Amino acid sequence: MALTITNLSKTYPNGVRALKNVSLTVGSGMFGLLGPNGAGKSSLMRTVATLQEPDAGAIQLDGIDVLKQKDDVRRVLGYLPQEFGVYPKMSAIDMLTHLAILKGITGAGERKTMVEALLQQTNLWDVRKKALSTYSGGMKQRFGIAQALLANPRLIIVDEPTAGLDPAERNRFLNLLSSIGRDVTVILSTHIVDDVLELCPRMAIIAQGEMLLEGSPSECLATLQGQIWSHVLSSDDELKAIEAELKVVSSHLVAGQHEIRVFAPTKPGPAYESVPTELEDVYFLTVARHSVN
Amino acid sequence: MNMFLEFFSFELKFRAKSISTYVYFLAWLAFGFFCTGSESFGPVGFNNGKVLLNGPYALAYNQLAAGLFGVIIISAIFGTSILRDFQRDTYQMLFTKPISKFAYLGGRWAASFVVCVLVFTGVSVGMWLGTYAPWTDHVRIAPNHLWWYVQPFLSLTVVQIFFLGSLFFAVAALSRKLVVVYLQGVAVFMVYIIGITVYGATRSLEHFWSGIMDPVGFVLFDNITRYWTVAEKNKLLVPWGFTGYSPGVFLYNRILWAAIGLVSLGVVWRLFPMSVEALTARSQGKRAAKARLADAEDARSIRNLVAAALPRVRQVFGSGTTFAQYLALTRMRVRMITREIPFWGIIALLIVFAINNGQFAGDVGDQNVWPVTYLMLQAVEGSATLFFYIVATLYAGELVWRERDNHFDGIHDALPMHATTDWLSKLSSIAVIELVLLTVTGLVGMMMQTMAGYYHYEVLQYAKELYLITFPQVMGFALLAMFVQTVVSNKFVGHGIVIAIFVMVPILFNFGWENSLYLPGAYPAYTYSDMNGYGYFVAPVFWGMTYWIAIFAFLGVVSIAFTQRGSEESRAARFRQAVARAPRLAPAGLACLLVALGAGSWFYYNAHVLNDYRTAEDNRRINAGYERDFKKYELLPQPKTTAVDATINIYPDRRSFDGTGRFTLQNKSDVPITQVHLTDAQQTVSNVAFDRPFHLVSRAPRDLYSIYALDQPLAAGDTMTLTFRVSWTTRGFRDGNELAQYSPNGTFFDVGVFPTIGYDRNLEIGDPRRRREEHLGPLVELPPRTDSVYAKRNLFTPTSDWITYHTVVSTSGDQIAIAPGYLQRQWKQNGRQYFEYSMGTQHILNFYAYLSGKYAVRKEVYKDATGVDPVNLEVYYDPQHAYDVDDMLASARAGLDYYQARYSPYQFTQFRIMEFPRYRTFAQSFANTVPFSEGIGFITRLKKPTDVDLTWFVTAHELGHQWWGHQLIGGEVEGSNMMSETLAQYSAYMVMKHKYGKDYMHRVLKHFLDQYLRGRTGEVRHEPPLSQVQNEAYVWYQKGGQIMYTLADYIGEDKVDLALHNFLMAYRYANANNQVDAADSTHGARSRDTRYPDTRLLVEALDAQTPPDLQYLIDDGFNRVVLYDDKALAATSTQLPNGKWQVTLDVQTRKVQVDSAGTESPMPLDDYIEVGVFTGKSDEEKPLYMEKQKFTQERSTITIVVDQKPTRAGIDPYNKLIDRISDDNMIDVTSK
Repeated sequence: MALTITNLSKTYPNGVRALKNVSLTVGSGMFGLLGPNGAGKSSLMRTVATLQEPDAGAIQLDGIDVLKQKDDVRRVLGYLPQEFGVYPKMSAIDMLTHLAILKGITGAGERKTMVEALLQQTNLWDVRKKALSTYSGGMKQRFGIAQALLANPRLIIVDEPTAGLDPAERNRFLNLLSSIGRDVTVILSTHIVDDVLELCPRMAIIAQGEMLLEGSPSECLATLQGQIWSHVLSSDDELKAIEAELKVVSSHLVAGQHEIRVFAPTKPGPAYESVPTELEDVYFLTVARHSVN
Repeated sequence: MNMFLEFFSFELKFRAKSISTYVYFLAWLAFGFFCTGSESFGPVGFNNGKVLLNGPYALAYNQLAAGLFGVIIISAIFGTSILRDFQRDTYQMLFTKPISKFAYLGGRWAASFVVCVLVFTGVSVGMWLGTYAPWTDHVRIAPNHLWWYVQPFLSLTVVQIFFLGSLFFAVAALSRKLVVVYLQGVAVFMVYIIGITVYGATRSLEHFWSGIMDPVGFVLFDNITRYWTVAEKNKLLVPWGFTGYSPGVFLYNRILWAAIGLVSLGVVWRLFPMSVEALTARSQGKRAAKARLADAEDARSIRNLVAAALPRVRQVFGSGTTFAQYLALTRMRVRMITREIPFWGIIALLIVFAINNGQFAGDVGDQNVWPVTYLMLQAVEGSATLFFYIVATLYAGELVWRERDNHFDGIHDALPMHATTDWLSKLSSIAVIELVLLTVTGLVGMMMQTMAGYYHYEVLQYAKELYLITFPQVMGFALLAMFVQTVVSNKFVGHGIVIAIFVMVPILFNFGWENSLYLPGAYPAYTYSDMNGYGYFVAPVFWGMTYWIAIFAFLGVVSIAFTQRGSEESRAARFRQAVARAPRLAPAGLACLLVALGAGSWFYYNAHVLNDYRTAEDNRRINAGYERDFKKYELLPQPKTTAVDATINIYPDRRSFDGTGRFTLQNKSDVPITQVHLTDAQQTVSNVAFDRPFHLVSRAPRDLYSIYALDQPLAAGDTMTLTFRVSWTTRGFRDGNELAQYSPNGTFFDVGVFPTIGYDRNLEIGDPRRRREEHLGPLVELPPRTDSVYAKRNLFTPTSDWITYHTVVSTSGDQIAIAPGYLQRQWKQNGRQYFEYSMGTQHILNFYAYLSGKYAVRKEVYKDATGVDPVNLEVYYDPQHAYDVDDMLASARAGLDYYQARYSPYQFTQFRIMEFPRYRTFAQSFANTVPFSEGIGFITRLKKPTDVDLTWFVTAHELGHQWWGHQLIGGEVEGSNMMSETLAQYSAYMVMKHKYGKDYMHRVLKHFLDQYLRGRTGEVRHEPPLSQVQNEAYVWYQKGGQIMYTLADYIGEDKVDLALHNFLMAYRYANANNQVDAADSTHGARSRDTRYPDTRLLVEALDAQTPPDLQYLIDDGFNRVVLYDDKALAATSTQLPNGKWQVTLDVQTRKVQVDSAGTESPMPLDDYIEVGVFTGKSDEEKPLYMEKQKFTQERSTITIVVDQKPTRAGIDPYNKLIDRISDDNMIDVTSK
């Protein structure tokens, strides 16, 4: 199972360059696509999900030309868009059964088993007969996940799936995803670094339409090993001064005081402590570097 | 106050920024513009050619029409102003701030009101602009008067905006539900339409309460202007005062509805809660349910965190799955529609509509009929057709947009199915919904038939009409709507375009675009007839419909190609997508185009190649050319037809006939005749030959007018023969205007297929508007009675006086063919039926007809009191229509009794009635032969004793024509028409009165009086007095009948009948005894023509029987146009010591004379008018006293003593005199 994206470019009619010559190879398992809002993640996902045409480039999925043989892709695809609505007055079980038919699950018994299993898995069993339109944001999101997993998809594209989920729900979802993600390709786009770290053997960082970094989280972490330093500041003025001098990766408030993380090959000063590299550092640095360029 | 201004100006700014405000304004501008800019568009244009398009009546009427459709706009503007906060959830922010109720509600309301008024000024501005349109009929545009625009706007529109706006505002503020706001306007609109349909069907002549209670104003306006003549319509504004024919009604109406507006504002002011808590508590149930569900969910512990493996499923893709996908999608879409309230609202409305209209299926005009299936379908389906189209349009928009509107498109578009599957399921969902609606319609129809006691269910006819005719049409429209919605990419703009196409079709038709091949969705109109079923309409409807559906289906295929899938909305992207899909769709698209091309070509070949395609305007142009070129020959001496012998073969299946004819022509002028002119209006005549050498001088296109020169002139008094061939071959089908004369069952054509000698003035265009279009100048009317040339010409057949008649007519083996005359012989030959009819040497009018049909026959022999000269009564009818045969025969017997006893003996020994299809609806009197349309008289049903027995009436009327029209004929001068029509009408009234009594006639006459008064408001030239009537049917039927009836009431029926007898015996059969007939038997001397009688002689005869003090009645009734204004002002009663009651009655009586310009001038009074005192309540009065008293002054007080306690009293209580306000003649008596 491999998805190969080659030199994909897309410019919207309003002039926004959503994708700039993006190339990427995704094998089996979970693949995390990390990037800030507006980085081009959704454009890339939609293009792979056959909902959008690139201006240039090619996408191959196990010998299927994704841009030409759209129906073949759709048969193996499970897609959860970033935002989606539901029909009014339609219950979860009815809707899933309906979608199962559309996904080609023709056997009534299989359909029933699958739909019920998914409802159980997404913890929607008790509310399966309630109208989707009365669902809360998290419930709706879980329904979205359920529909994406119908028909054992070989390619799963989930766009910002954990947005709006509470911590328990998020965990549950990630568990589910990882249990499936072993033998199929799952592309998970998110701006939450922990999602990737916890789940994805491989990842990429995308910003302003460009692929900035690709590798496994550990590889990414290794590049910065020993170069991240932490320091607690006393005033805003001090922060300003340091920002002018050093590469500040991030700043957190800890009990009312700024704790900054700084990228530097060597220890920048006595007040700085060496800290273990976090994926977030990689992310912030990659994005920040790119925007400077 | 500051805060009020803040809200006010915020709302104004919001509206100023919103595009809908401008769309509404522009829509009204366009509406107004076309109302005055084209007489084919507005509600007034068609009405009457003399009503000014920018006169006060027209401007007010246009405001009213705008007000009706404006209900929806008013609801949109007022309702959304308050709903916005709840829809966008800004109310939480708003109501936590210290704002006053007055500022919030008042500001929103006031701004909505101002915006609404401004939007509606679009109508006025548009109408004003329209008056400058260069193409409009400027004869009907007067110089613009500002007040004519402003007064109706203020009186009608602004008041309506105030009242409806306040009501909608209140409902929106108190319900705070989107669906209520969207639907309330539509609901008021529909309920109002239903209301006026119901009211209209009651045929009430009540003009007071109905006007006051009308919220939109159509009934109100009709009550006020019902009897306005053209002059008044071009002068009067809606009266705020207590003048006019409905005094005070307008004022009361405005007060009532303005008060309701105020009450609405008061209610919303009282009840609207200004706190978030109160507002939320009452907020949408859905939101509350969602909150509850979320709370329950949060409280629940999460059961397992470990994800189990999902089961494995098999995916199968193939045609079976495609079909399963199609079914699943269709099922889900239908389910979604049927789970929504609007769908059930539509069904409920449809049922209410159908029940309501179905109840009146048996009401045609002023009579009750059996609700046969075509009438029931017309009632339940006809008015709902718009409904079906609206549903198709709305749901097409919903279905095309649903995934995107619900943001489900991301999931939906990535599903593994073809765009075609998805698209077909949308189309099928609309089909399912429409089928449900149509089935409901049909079932309600049958239910209503059952309730009306009609049990002859024609399920097949329902199925054909609903599923084979209406359904494909509606689906064609749905395809169009889906196409538009797909390519337009804005739902509301899409709706606008679809509605515009729908509305434009009939408008374009009125503009003269009559060709079905280029009017979207058009096909020739059809009429169902019980005698023929859908008959000859099947082919044109089928091919026309196939053509358009194929075109729409092609658009459907195109819309599949352009269906948006995925997130790309740009035109270029969608075009690329369409190109990519094209190869798969090309075969289907091509097939559609081929079908369209094939059906279209076949349609074109039939309508334009096999048949001469002519629009209404083309026909007018031909008639105008005829008048221009040949009117000059009208008085050219021509020989007169004195005998007709014809052999006619009818081929009903082919809708054709052929035959030969032979006319005997005599020169009854005093100069030799050198040329014979023939008019052949129907292109049926050929092989014209005379019995002497002749040659063709000229022939107009379409053989319309041919001039033959006789090489040897026809000397004065001499005769000759003309022989010719007549035939009509129906080829293929036409685009509408199919000739109704020829039908497979019920052929009926008349003398018009034979050559007409000389010029035929019947072909002239009468409508002044059309004459202006053709630059013809005013119509030359019938000459005055003193004219010596025209007075010698027969009114009906100017180039013939009387003829003898013999014919042989054949038809197919299963039909009976009929023509005037006595059956001499009947035989069968080569599978065809032959009939020989002859009038022998007896004279008839040169007016005859041929009929053929599959008839059931009822015969009986009538004998009068003496028992001599029996008359054979025969009715030839469709076996399904036996309902009224007995009634027809009874009426004929009663008529023969009355007319023979009072006028003269019946000149024939047979009287036959035969049914013909309802493509034409009239009855016509030929000599001893009366064709009677299946649409009138054959399905009459008397349910209540007050029902008008139209069958009885029409039969008596047509029988009356055997005297008035077949014995007595006037000259071709003014007034003569009334001597046939008024006298036949009077005769029928008398026969009816003898059967049903005076009270019944009182009711019937009230309707006829109303028809006369309304008829004169539509007069396009000038209203003549009865004795000088030209072509005004409302004068010769309704007014004439009333005048004669009242005269009989005043001087006695016997006196009137004696006068008619004397007149008839003196003048009947004019010019019958100075001619040579075919048999060469000379009747009388071979002398020249003499005068035919005219109305002066009739008036003289009536005068002779009228006492001098009542002769003013005849002068007023026949020689003038006179209107009374009688009114009871007050009535009181006191009991006398002897136990009797004394009534004191104050009355007003006025009398005016109307000149030809419509100007009214007072006349001195010296009149006898009935005064009555009654007991019992209104409408069920029993007379205690009824006497004619003499009135000489406007105000009088009358004292009357009666035996019982009186309840009602009045002047002319039975409306025997012509009075425009007929319901103020009586008043309640108050006792002291």
